[in-house]
Amino acid sequence: MPADLALAPAHSIADEMKSIVGAANLVGPPVERRNKKRNRKDRRLGTRDEAPLGSYAIDEVVPVAVVSPGSEEEIAAILRIASERDYVVVPTGGMTKQNIGYVPDRIDILLRMNRFNKVEHYDAGDLTFGAGAGMTISDVQQTLAANSQMLPLDPMLPDRATVGGVLAANAHGPMKSGFGGARDYCIGVHFVTADGKIAKGGGRVVKNVAGYDMMKLMIGSFGTLGVITSANFKVFPAPLQTRTFVCAFASLAEAIAFRDRVLASPLQPMCVEINSPRAQEYLAAPAAPRDPDHHHAPVRLENYSSWNVLVRASGSDAVLNRYRQELGAAVTREIAAADEKQLWTRISNDEKQLWTRISNFEPTVIDRHRNGMVINVSVSIADVQSALQAAEDSAIEHNLLCASIGRITAGALVIAFMPLAVDPPSAMQFANAASSLRGRLPRDASAHVLRCPKESKSRFDVWGTTPTDLEMMRSLRASMDPHGILNRGRFLA
Amino acid sequence: MQYSRLARQIRKIVGKDAVLDQPEDLMLYEYDGGVDRGTPDIICFPQTTEHVSKIMQLATKAGVPIVPRGAGTGLSGGSIARKGGIVLGFSRMSKILEIDIANQRAIVQPGVVNLDLTHAVESQGFYFAPDPSSQKACTIGGNVAENSGGPHTLANGVTVNHVTGLEVVLPDGRIVEFGSKANDACGYDLTGFFVGSEGTLGIATKITVRLTKLPEAVATMLAVFNTIDDAANSVVAITAASITPAALEMLDGWTLRTVEAATPAGYPLDSAAVLLIELEGLREAVDENADIVRNICMKVGAREVRLAANEAERQRLWSGRKNAFGAVGRISPSYYVQDGVIPRTRIPETLRHIDSVSKKYNLQIGNIFHAGDGNLHPLILFDPRDADQTARTIAAGREILEFCVSVGGSITGEHGVGMEKLNEMCVMFSEDDIEVMTRLRNVFNPKSILNPQKVLPTTRSCRETNAGDHPSLHGPVNASAPATSAHGAD
Repeated sequence: MPADLALAPAHSIADEMKSIVGAANLVGPPVERRNKKRNRKDRRLGTRDEAPLGSYAIDEVVPVAVVSPGSEEEIAAILRIASERDYVVVPTGGMTKQNIGYVPDRIDILLRMNRFNKVEHYDAGDLTFGAGAGMTISDVQQTLAANSQMLPLDPMLPDRATVGGVLAANAHGPMKSGFGGARDYCIGVHFVTADGKIAKGGGRVVKNVAGYDMMKLMIGSFGTLGVITSANFKVFPAPLQTRTFVCAFASLAEAIAFRDRVLASPLQPMCVEINSPRAQEYLAAPAAPRDPDHHHAPVRLENYSSWNVLVRASGSDAVLNRYRQELGAAVTREIAAADEKQLWTRISNDEKQLWTRISNFEPTVIDRHRNGMVINVSVSIADVQSALQAAEDSAIEHNLLCASIGRITAGALVIAFMPLAVDPPSAMQFANAASSLRGRLPRDASAHVLRCPKESKSRFDVWGTTPTDLEMMRSLRASMDPHGILNRGRFLA
Repeated sequence: MQYSRLARQIRKIVGKDAVLDQPEDLMLYEYDGGVDRGTPDIICFPQTTEHVSKIMQLATKAGVPIVPRGAGTGLSGGSIARKGGIVLGFSRMSKILEIDIANQRAIVQPGVVNLDLTHAVESQGFYFAPDPSSQKACTIGGNVAENSGGPHTLANGVTVNHVTGLEVVLPDGRIVEFGSKANDACGYDLTGFFVGSEGTLGIATKITVRLTKLPEAVATMLAVFNTIDDAANSVVAITAASITPAALEMLDGWTLRTVEAATPAGYPLDSAAVLLIELEGLREAVDENADIVRNICMKVGAREVRLAANEAERQRLWSGRKNAFGAVGRISPSYYVQDGVIPRTRIPETLRHIDSVSKKYNLQIGNIFHAGDGNLHPLILFDPRDADQTARTIAAGREILEFCVSVGGSITGEHGVGMEKLNEMCVMFSEDDIEVMTRLRNVFNPKSILNPQKVLPTTRSCRETNAGDHPSLHGPVNASAPATSAHGAD
């Protein structure tokens, strides 16, 4: 790539983008914006985004242009220009997970998918659904709820998180225990490659082996293989009645022994979630943002000394009674619809709120501790206990606090490390804690950082050790994005 | 001759008794469970990953195709050496390497027979969920290649939902590991991408599979209908009622009578269709859902709904379904099985369309299929010695698949594209879709040494197919094989 092109002035990027998507769908550098005429139609449609570029910064890196394309063809045109001129492109949905990965070298084009927010198809009788990548998870669930259906995908911040973003990051929530991950129910995907090919994989039917499984490749690819434009899903009947059994244990070992009993039983819960003692502090109260630099009296840990396992089940009264009988004396509390007025759903607001808070664990922690680190850990079922113990030990070793939650029958854990109130953290402290955690995990496990202070990111591998196939992954990436324009330097770097 | 030298080199790797290259031996490996044929030049039976790696290096160096083969039960020509070359048989890599109940995983070699794994773990309360009809013979390596399904994958998912890790040998001989016993691994999900790639990306030499807990309760029901529409509408109603049976199979009147003649399973001979419905899970849930399903079927118009009272009755009801293909084989010289998928709500109109195709081409078509997930298996009866009938069979099959795609479905639900449905890929996917997939294949298998001319048509041939012209894709394929000319493409 000739150097003079790579160093094209900022206004030329904005001009090029404007010619593709129109001024209304572009946020460019300030000099551009002054020249823009606002018309009423734009305002009415809400397509004009007046937020300054700085509000789209990722790890303090401010994009040169923020673009909201309206069609796959526009995305293809943008990516072709970007490939040609070596512009770095960051595709984004609700920007809830952009803290994942290394600090971008630069962002020439932030590609917002907010206009891809429509239902593509919904065949309720067939339990299949397709949505644009920019549709929020809340909107998806609301659409499906009209037919008493749901997508078993309950990631954090569903009002902002989008279909495309959740797939790209392979984000998960508590329902992963009972329904598996996105790879288990995403049945089709449309995307645009970095060199501007509009392509797809899968289809709209629940069983399909025609062609390569592009869904698997796009899920968890963090936007590095192409820009996801829409996805199709197998959806599920929404439960009419659920109940959550809270089981408290004095130690992690007892909690895991209980989980093993659940695994050995005939029960098929929707969710089996663990909350470490300190995690309960974050799940108990609504997130009240506090200035992390201001001193707060530490919350007394005495209130939260147990390891809790939460089992959520759905079904008729007979089925739920069977759960109670099987779980037996371990149950310390039941959260169910007691209020007659709620009969239409038979799911209590308390229960809904509890599970929403579990989904939102990461933002809750970060609201309270601007300098916090959250790690996604994936382990085999039998290694869950040692992974959770490793997190506790690593935190102590590096003078941090640790709070863990996770899907313990699926081995998908979310572990947070927070600084002590009296002790401002150093960048190395997080790097060391992460390394220490990884060092204690078994070979099969992986641990990638969902969020940590920007200063720490350059000091350690935020993705963790990679198996023998790294070379293969890099070649795959090169075949889909020869110039490495998509999320350059952030993933598999 | 190149192949005699190659055979000598391979004998040095795998041993003298593990290489076949005599014509009478090669003939036995010309076909699979489908209708295509192709003669390999060498068949060998590696015993270790290192054997596979060394053979791959040899083949790459010599520029000779390699085709992996499990039990040869595939239905789309996936294990046919259509360009000749080396067939790698996995009958000597058939060990269960590890059973890890605590992690609900097993690690197996590719040659392990599907049902053998279930037998090895069922005493501990587990089974391997994918259950293709050929599960007594087919191998897990083959299941991985084809992403196999089966009647019970409706609730539990197909093979890819049950594989979490792989050891793979690439065409250049490199041995790589994808995934692990954990559900997710850092980086791209190469495990998920590999499953269903039909032996075109690499050869799996170790497979980490998920083991599923055996259900506490099972209810098997037979719903009998006087019209095929009522049966189809019952499937739609059951799905709409938010019940996901473990299996939901349908046989039409002609098929069930053929089946009864061979394997008396108790299907009423004067009925127009039967549904075989199985519910699994917690006893309370199964009992409740069985009542709901019975009521739905009766309301839609079932003549009767029978519930198997015990295991013997259950097995008897299933025996008809499981032996159906064999029963059809008794009365017809050959049959062509289709594998199209449609949205479940479109079953009634699709069955009517198949009926019209049957009349148009004057062919008997039996319908037996996984109704619950809309995966049809129309059986088109034909005599491969009758060229005209064969040609009509192919045309009828293609017309059915095109109809499936036109209502939003797929050309294959579980049998794979193989060589059989290469042209139909162009009906479902655009040139750009196929170009992107080809790019990805080339990362793994740049010279297309591995299972050449499978899954992905050339974009040129796609253009020709879509223009209404169906020339043979890649030149003549072993003209001596009778069915090949019919299925090569034209």
